[in-house]
Amino acid sequence: MELISNDAPLLVFVGAGGVGKTTLAAATALRAAREGKRTLVMTFDPSLRLKDALGVGEEARDREVPVDLAGLAEIHPGGSLHASLLDARRTFDRLIERYAPDNQARDRILGNSFYGQLSGSLGGILEYMAVERLFEAARDGHYDQVILDTPPTRQALDFLEAPARIVGFLDSGALKVALKPWFDEKGRLKPAARWGGLGRRFEGFLDDVVGLDLLRDMAEFFQVFAPLFTGFRERASEVEDLLRSPRTRFVLVAGPGEEAIPDALFFARRLAQAGLHLGAMVVNRVHPLLPFPPEGRFDGRHLLAWLGERDRIGLARLAELAGPRQPLLPVPLSADEPTDLPALAALGDFLAEGLAEGS
Amino acid sequence: MPTSLATRQLIVVTGKGGVGKTSVAALLGSALAAAGRRTLVAEVDPRENLHRMLGVPPSGGEILRAGSRLWVQNLSPQRVIDDLVREQLKFDLISRRVLDSPIYQHFTAGAPGLKEMAVLGHALRVLKGEAGKDAPAIDTVILDAPATGHGVALLAAPLLVSEAIRSGPIHRLSAQVAELIADPVRSAIVAVTLAEEMPVQEVLELAETLRTRVGRELELLVANGLFPPVPTAEGVRRSEEANETATAAADPAGYLWRHRRASQERELARLAELWPGGRIDLPQLPLVGGPELVAALRREAEAQAAWGELWS
Repeated sequence: MELISNDAPLLVFVGAGGVGKTTLAAATALRAAREGKRTLVMTFDPSLRLKDALGVGEEARDREVPVDLAGLAEIHPGGSLHASLLDARRTFDRLIERYAPDNQARDRILGNSFYGQLSGSLGGILEYMAVERLFEAARDGHYDQVILDTPPTRQALDFLEAPARIVGFLDSGALKVALKPWFDEKGRLKPAARWGGLGRRFEGFLDDVVGLDLLRDMAEFFQVFAPLFTGFRERASEVEDLLRSPRTRFVLVAGPGEEAIPDALFFARRLAQAGLHLGAMVVNRVHPLLPFPPEGRFDGRHLLAWLGERDRIGLARLAELAGPRQPLLPVPLSADEPTDLPALAALGDFLAEGLAEGS
Repeated sequence: MPTSLATRQLIVVTGKGGVGKTSVAALLGSALAAAGRRTLVAEVDPRENLHRMLGVPPSGGEILRAGSRLWVQNLSPQRVIDDLVREQLKFDLISRRVLDSPIYQHFTAGAPGLKEMAVLGHALRVLKGEAGKDAPAIDTVILDAPATGHGVALLAAPLLVSEAIRSGPIHRLSAQVAELIADPVRSAIVAVTLAEEMPVQEVLELAETLRTRVGRELELLVANGLFPPVPTAEGVRRSEEANETATAAADPAGYLWRHRRASQERELARLAELWPGGRIDLPQLPLVGGPELVAALRREAEAQAAWGELWS
């Protein structure tokens, strides 16, 4: 298969934490740029060395920063690479600035204490913001190829459900309830709310278990946020459509070894269930097959031979379970992690050429 | 004055995904059980893993016996919250209405810190013997923390929740858990890392954030997955090698071994420089996850000075 293709202007790298997604995403982005595409790579939390290699710093949290490709050979004309670091809080703030009807509403939302906690720690928001940024980048037309690295969590696919969850929340009726004028001017529960449709016992439960202070913060948040919801809802469903589009392709990165197989299959199944398009499976850092040393003291050679055998079995089982039609590429473990642009570019070439040969 | 690990009630094992947290949690569990503590090792991961380390069938959410004085449990935060609600609202009809309501579902899915808090709250209730009449009496809970995000989110959650919810049973529970987490006599935090750049960076940040946000120090740092040291003779041979590429071709295993070990040693040196506390180094072993691996790692740990200090 073609890793970089005009048919798939969006590539999303998914997989468990610690498998090297970010490095492979950067390597793929370099390949795309060298093929002559205007490329953007968006990543969450690259290592210092990867940031150094790309030459991006903290400024990439606010804007897309050009990567200097001058040291690389074989760059087709027109190719370029930009990199940006994803920051949920800043993206969320920007979104509110865009959709707020006026400055006063904007300031009220940004100053609300529930919002402060929400955008910092609410599960799913970080993930949602990643796809939100993807959407922005895909829509503004500055790039031929956009590559998204996903959050470094084991439940990395949560973000795929984030748009649906937000739409579900907005449609669930929960919002209508939240938008009722629950509290009077003095911040006390209104009698009408107390006796409302949900019943007194539920009210009592909320008061008892959750406490009314939190509810007051939430109610205020939803009320100031309400004018934004229409725009937000539309946006979330557009983002969802974009993820499901056949032009958005997922690259599943897995660790080597038999113990990583359940993870890889879990991700593949989740992608299929969500109606998303899995392009390639990449098994990263596969130990080479090496002969077991003659009997003797246990040492590094013995360990490497064992790891090579472990990874061979794991890879064969994964290939069998994934089926013959699933493009699957093992990437050998290198003695040193690629940490400069030429090494990353070579890794990108390996990925693109390895997948092309496999088909 | 430091307290022995054998007298703590809660030990939280934290670290990035894929660093071997679960084997360390199992190792500590078996050591505490051997030291006479009735120990529950609990994991928070929809794909159960812990039972395999201890050689028992999946727990399916129940507290399951895994040995003498040793139990395991797989925790689903949502289930823990739902159970708490059921208990609060003694009547079935009402609790069903609450549990089915979209507001409840969105609230519990989204409220900052609530899930993390529920997991820790469950640990506290187990320790107090309030986790149900069939639950065994437990002296120590070892929590194999979820790999998602920073362990700090988990450990800071009780404080966050107790400040956000300022009355009622959840407030009381979270205040008690926050107290337990802040108390070095009753609880300990163990971080696991690989000797690689990103995990080391994260564990150093974790130690710092714990200090500033929770007011706690890490009890112990475990560097996992280490290659055996390269014998001096091999090191000498390397320095005589002019052509790296030729060596890589002639002796790929030796070449890879030296390079992996050298990069791990760089990270270990960085840890030693920036982390003054206790550290245990665990080797990568030619064993798949299971009781044999846990026993072998425990023997490795027991041979180290930092291990002895944990129990004095």
